[in-house]
Amino acid sequence: MLRNLKFALNSAWQSFWRNLAVSLAAVLSITLILILAGTNLIIGHAFSQVLDGFRQKVSEISINVSDDTPLQTVYDFQQQLAADPRVTSVKFVTKDEALTQFKSDPQNGILAQQIEGNPLDAKLEVHVANLSDVSAVDALARKWSGIDPTDPTNYQGDFVNRMLQLSQWLGLAGVALLLILMVVSVVIVMNTIRTAVYHRRKEIEVMKLVGATEWFVRGPFVIEGIMTGLIAASVALSLLVIAYQPAVDRFKSDVGFIPLSYDPAFISSLAVDLLLAGALLGALGSYIGVRRYVRI
Amino acid sequence: MALREGVGPFGALRYTARDLATRARRRVTTQQETQLMVLTPDFATRPVISFQHVHKTYPTGTEALRDVNLEVPEGDFLFLVGPSGAGKSTLVRLLIREEKPTRGKIFVDGIELGRMKRRKLPYYRRKVGLVFQDFKLLPNLTVFENIAFAMRVLGEPDHKVQARVAEALDTVSLSGKENSYPSSLSGGEQQRVAIARALVHAPRFIIADEPTGNLDPATAWEIMQLFLRINARGATVVMATHNREIVDLLRRRVIAIDAGQIARDDRSGRYHEDVAKPQVRAQ
Repeated sequence: MLRNLKFALNSAWQSFWRNLAVSLAAVLSITLILILAGTNLIIGHAFSQVLDGFRQKVSEISINVSDDTPLQTVYDFQQQLAADPRVTSVKFVTKDEALTQFKSDPQNGILAQQIEGNPLDAKLEVHVANLSDVSAVDALARKWSGIDPTDPTNYQGDFVNRMLQLSQWLGLAGVALLLILMVVSVVIVMNTIRTAVYHRRKEIEVMKLVGATEWFVRGPFVIEGIMTGLIAASVALSLLVIAYQPAVDRFKSDVGFIPLSYDPAFISSLAVDLLLAGALLGALGSYIGVRRYVRI
Repeated sequence: MALREGVGPFGALRYTARDLATRARRRVTTQQETQLMVLTPDFATRPVISFQHVHKTYPTGTEALRDVNLEVPEGDFLFLVGPSGAGKSTLVRLLIREEKPTRGKIFVDGIELGRMKRRKLPYYRRKVGLVFQDFKLLPNLTVFENIAFAMRVLGEPDHKVQARVAEALDTVSLSGKENSYPSSLSGGEQQRVAIARALVHAPRFIIADEPTGNLDPATAWEIMQLFLRINARGATVVMATHNREIVDLLRRRVIAIDAGQIARDDRSGRYHEDVAKPQVRAQ
């Protein structure tokens, strides 16, 4: 078994170098595909990063309290909300605090100077754990007796829902794109290996005539495919890693308001994905490519 | 050791224990072997190759073989002769299980080839040594590697491969050519490499399809001597050939195939029907 593995490894290595032109063509094709796949993964990751940032902001809902509500009622409702499993935190902001907050925001500068008295409501700032629960919490708050009927709640409800839908669609599109890329690369590897096999069909014929098992014949090609895939994955990975940080920096300087950041931790998961994908695609392509010739 | 050595036209012969046993069973002395290089096959024992009402029709509709019945005892040396397209090659392809019979049964060494599972095929092929007209050597491998190939496929350890390849090269008198590439060898030498490859794993059967087809008469004769020696060691040899001179000279078993049928089965025959001699049908 080990001896056969050694034979297969040797044979694959030799074949890779003997048909260097074909091998490099295969490496190049798979590299390009893996770069596309990797870019897809990075964009997906960046998008989820951005989404997480937005999620932090939009999962906040503020419930305006009408001025004549007794403090005890507000505290009771605060307790009730805090006990709700969908809610992560509830903070009571008094009228004075709200005014201070309002005045301290530089965007409200001119408006703040013109304010007389305190027209602002006291409010409960509620953080909801899951974005999709924001509207439910909103509905609950609207039924509360102490709410300000003219301006009940503030949250970016529509925006939240759209973001959710968008992220679902984008995730689906990403998966579809990845699937297409995988099929394309399997076909490319298959054809490349088929070319290599065609060059070696005499050898395969002789192998079969002297009694080689199908896996003995197939082994070197499958290993060659894995080698091709791994080399391609390494090339694609290094190019992506080199380009990742500058691309993020450039993006941040061009489109500042989107909370995108360079995430070195993602590289290791990207590396695992790409190397695994490369090896798998190479092996699968070889297996299919060689099957027709190996069948006795 | 003296018992184990005999002197043939190509130098010292080495015998394995099985060869000696085979020879003892067949009462063939070393002297007989080196002089005549003839094993007398025992037709009374169970045949190692047997065709029973074998028909082969290709998908194109060509009827290559019709109702072929044939029994080959162990140690037999038989020539398949007949015009091109008569069905010789089909018979050889059936024997190495490149094709399955359309009807009828083929038994080799107790295995029915038509019903053999695909994954068993490699193990069957290992019992058979194959020699072809076009040698089927791999041009990018040296002589040594070409012969070793047949053993590597079996997953044999290196030291065993080394020893057996050296032995096989010695048998075909090509010692010293280990590192040559096939392209630098003559046709006869290439065929001897192919024969060395066919016998390196000590197969019980040697099946040859026109092994002398590409060779001049003198070289063809040398190659035939090799086949006779392999046969004398106990291997059963089936050879399809067009070489009339050799068949006539050796007077071994001749099976003439014509239009897909066995036209003649002669235990010591000639290429063409021998008018003077009454026909002896085997079986």
